[in-house]
Amino acid sequence: MEVLFLQIGNGLIIGSVYALVALGLNMIWSITDIPDFAQGSFYVLAAYVGLFAVTLAGLPFVAALLLGMAVGALLAFLCERLLYRRWRERTFRDAARVQLLCAIALFFLFANVANALWTGKPRTFPAYMEGAVFGFSYMRINVLIAAIVLFVIVYLFIMKTKQGKAIRAASMDPGMAQVLGVNIDTVNSMVFAIGGALSGGAAVLVAPLYSVFPSMGDLPLLKALVVVILGGFGSVAGVLICGLGLGVIEALGAMYVSSAYQHGYAFFILILVLLLKPKGLFGRV
Amino acid sequence: MKRLKTGMLLVTAVVFGIISVCSSAFAADVIKIGYTAPFTGSAAEFGTNGWRGIQMALDEINAKGVSIGGKKYTVEIVRYDSVCTPTDGAANLRKLALEDKVVTILGDHCSSVCNAISPLCEQFKIPGITIECAADNVTKPGNDFYFRMRASVGLMAPLFTPKIIEKFGPKSAGYLVVNDDYGLGLAKAVEEEFNKAGVKSALLETFERGNTDFTVNLVKIKQANPDVVFYAGSASEGAMILKQANEMGITKEIKFIGSEEMGEMELLSLAGAKAAEGTYAVALWGAVPEDFAKQVKDRFNAPMHYAIIFGYDALHVAVNAIQKAQSLDPVKIRDALKQTDYAGLQGHIQFFDFDGYKNQGKAAPSLIQWKNGERVPL
Amino acid sequence: MWNTNRIILGIMLFVLLAIPLFASSYIVYVVTLAMLFSMLTASYDFMTGFTGPLSFSHGAFYGIGAYTSALLTLKTGMSFWVAMPVSTLTVFVFAAIVGYPALKLRGHYFAVTTFFFGHFIYLVLLNSRDITKGPLGLGGIRPPESLFGINFGNMTAMYYLILFFGALMVVFLFVLVNSSIGKLLVSIRENEDLAQASGVNTAFYKVMAFSISSGFAGMAGSLFAHFFRLLHPSTFAWMTSEMIVIMFLVGGAGTLIGPIIGAGVVTFILELMRFAPEWRFIIWSILLIAILIIEPRGLAGLYNRIRGRRA
Repeated sequence: MEVLFLQIGNGLIIGSVYALVALGLNMIWSITDIPDFAQGSFYVLAAYVGLFAVTLAGLPFVAALLLGMAVGALLAFLCERLLYRRWRERTFRDAARVQLLCAIALFFLFANVANALWTGKPRTFPAYMEGAVFGFSYMRINVLIAAIVLFVIVYLFIMKTKQGKAIRAASMDPGMAQVLGVNIDTVNSMVFAIGGALSGGAAVLVAPLYSVFPSMGDLPLLKALVVVILGGFGSVAGVLICGLGLGVIEALGAMYVSSAYQHGYAFFILILVLLLKPKGLFGRV
Repeated sequence: MKRLKTGMLLVTAVVFGIISVCSSAFAADVIKIGYTAPFTGSAAEFGTNGWRGIQMALDEINAKGVSIGGKKYTVEIVRYDSVCTPTDGAANLRKLALEDKVVTILGDHCSSVCNAISPLCEQFKIPGITIECAADNVTKPGNDFYFRMRASVGLMAPLFTPKIIEKFGPKSAGYLVVNDDYGLGLAKAVEEEFNKAGVKSALLETFERGNTDFTVNLVKIKQANPDVVFYAGSASEGAMILKQANEMGITKEIKFIGSEEMGEMELLSLAGAKAAEGTYAVALWGAVPEDFAKQVKDRFNAPMHYAIIFGYDALHVAVNAIQKAQSLDPVKIRDALKQTDYAGLQGHIQFFDFDGYKNQGKAAPSLIQWKNGERVPL
Repeated sequence: MWNTNRIILGIMLFVLLAIPLFASSYIVYVVTLAMLFSMLTASYDFMTGFTGPLSFSHGAFYGIGAYTSALLTLKTGMSFWVAMPVSTLTVFVFAAIVGYPALKLRGHYFAVTTFFFGHFIYLVLLNSRDITKGPLGLGGIRPPESLFGINFGNMTAMYYLILFFGALMVVFLFVLVNSSIGKLLVSIRENEDLAQASGVNTAFYKVMAFSISSGFAGMAGSLFAHFFRLLHPSTFAWMTSEMIVIMFLVGGAGTLIGPIIGAGVVTFILELMRFAPEWRFIIWSILLIAILIIEPRGLAGLYNRIRGRRA
């Protein structure tokens, strides 16, 4: 029983990281149709920035977290402004694929820049808090809490503010939104910045639990892709539920089936869910 | 828009220009030695460390120069990235052997790559020295042109397992290893030795290189509750495992015994003295001269790592053989390598043919324990 | 377009036939790998460029073909000349079984599912240690048995063998895309609903395109297995599938010849960068983005633009 409790708890914590990266990815994907692989590398760069903020500049953890989020947001914003935007007009058939290719190229680029600048050697992010409860350290529990807080903030932003309304309109029908006076450029910049901030935040949150290294973004990115598809486009709650759910299923699968396939269960869940509900669990039709 | 496009074209042109200039750079009276290693991807830290060791040795050698037949030579290293994939490693080796005309090859770090390049060394008749590949089949059956200084996993296990059994008298053992040739190979070899001594296998858990969260594996270990857990994998993953095991309070009941990576100073900087406290590890190097450790620290701002020591030894062994052969003919260098008798940092280096192994070193590993941030030999 | 294609392919074939006559075994090796990747991208183009659905599992089918062929020859003593068609067919059938449910998904849903299918296959290859030897690598694979007195243990012979099958495949695909079936596939790509409404059994044709394209990937895998003679799961990990997509897009989707050249160009750039180990992928990805900015339709688009300007 205790084991089950531990596994579910760990699953929820890992899942909240997937969910954070997936939330930004989902917003970007549903509005601009770009599966932004580069989010995986913003995750890496933000973790390094957070690390240096703590170790070199001696900033407190919360400041490092905010700094990491800012760096993620800035990078994502710049990539959209300078690169993705130029192919948005869709004047040719494969525009969407070109954006995808660009995203993959950016993912390779940033991960390798981190490797070249700071070598492949993993670095330790100093712990900012001691102690544990029920076998979970406070730092670990904080990840889950922070994830939920960030989700609530994003949810409120989308539902209650004017900019949020513009985002919602654009995600439903970009053409119609433009006719109604929504500035699609602003909306794009906004979702990319939010996405980058969430990826960056997720990275700095888990960095003290793990290590910081150039290929650290690979797994969260892969899992976030699944979570987006599972949850369906355009649902904040769906992303949260699917992210946490995937984490728990992986942990239980690893426990009771085989841990060698821990990162392969996503495939079965995808096939199963999509065959029953081709638009994801919570996606709008 | 137009200007930007022209700009991009220009950048492309400049990049290609730089490439052609760099590749045509050439100097006389140099001995070229090739080095293939992962410098990018998830195994990049090994290549980076190996390269550090080689640079240290290179400076020492070039300060004196190498004289062959009364003529002075300097050594030049040509290094290529293998990304830890066999196909890239094979491309590196062919380029080194046929385009760069190197006389000896160092590398690789990944056993899958070593297995791909070792037959090519024989085919092109160029001696190769692996830096740290540990799978048995790299030199077993092996061939005349491929050398290994360190002990393979199958040779290491019988040397250190008796010490573990003597010290702890475990009844059951769990294995937590990285899912590659090194981790699984070592787990298998240790398991065989343990089973012979009546130690039952409790569970075998594997994880992918680059994994960060091990709580799932650790909970399974907690449940199986073996007396000892044998870990094989890199120091970075090991450090995360120790931190997370500490968090869950597992390390109090179960003894963690790590492979050679866990005996690295790097573990301390990664996991911290507190999480590492009390952990046992197999050690491939005993005491490194203090000035060497200091040089590494000053030059690279990095803790000692066995890949540094292996890289350093490998280049020295290769250059010694060249000097002994008094020739730049790879076959003669191979003959001299077979006669190697060199006091390296990792121990005495000689190559033997025995028990189906070919050109295999016999360095004996020992056990250490982490106490108050120090490596204490057992 | 059809005629210029023929001229370009003819020149390429001539150059490829001539390369082993003067180049070192390093160049021959690299060109062989490039040819295998050209086979992969060309067959990928048949599916993704002509029929539509973007998939990320081509590298996995490449791996299944390679392991099937290697294991058949190793465990049953089967000759390569039997094992190659058998493994091609196995992958063909397997792709149909996987493709039938998966191709009901559209767009990104399909893309991400195939991505994880690819990763799952990688995990199977890695963890089925009793059969594939997993991370220890499957070695000792024999070269193809001698035929007409040609010994395929020789790399040059293997080079020509791969060139032969590659050329055969390209001709086959060219005939196929220019037939009525090819036009049907393009109609599915342009508007699937419309094609369905006008009586085309789109599900059948999509599965067929997926199977044929995957089957050829399996054939390339079999050739790779007996060329390289050492298989490791990492050769077929998600990087490979992504590399295929990159080569395909750099070349230009839906042109068949574009992806073939794209594979060559990408391999060539990566080889050129070998001198700068740490910076290799950085320079490479910057070049990739630069290509996209200069001409988003890839090399085929660039060619068309230059030709258009002259005309």
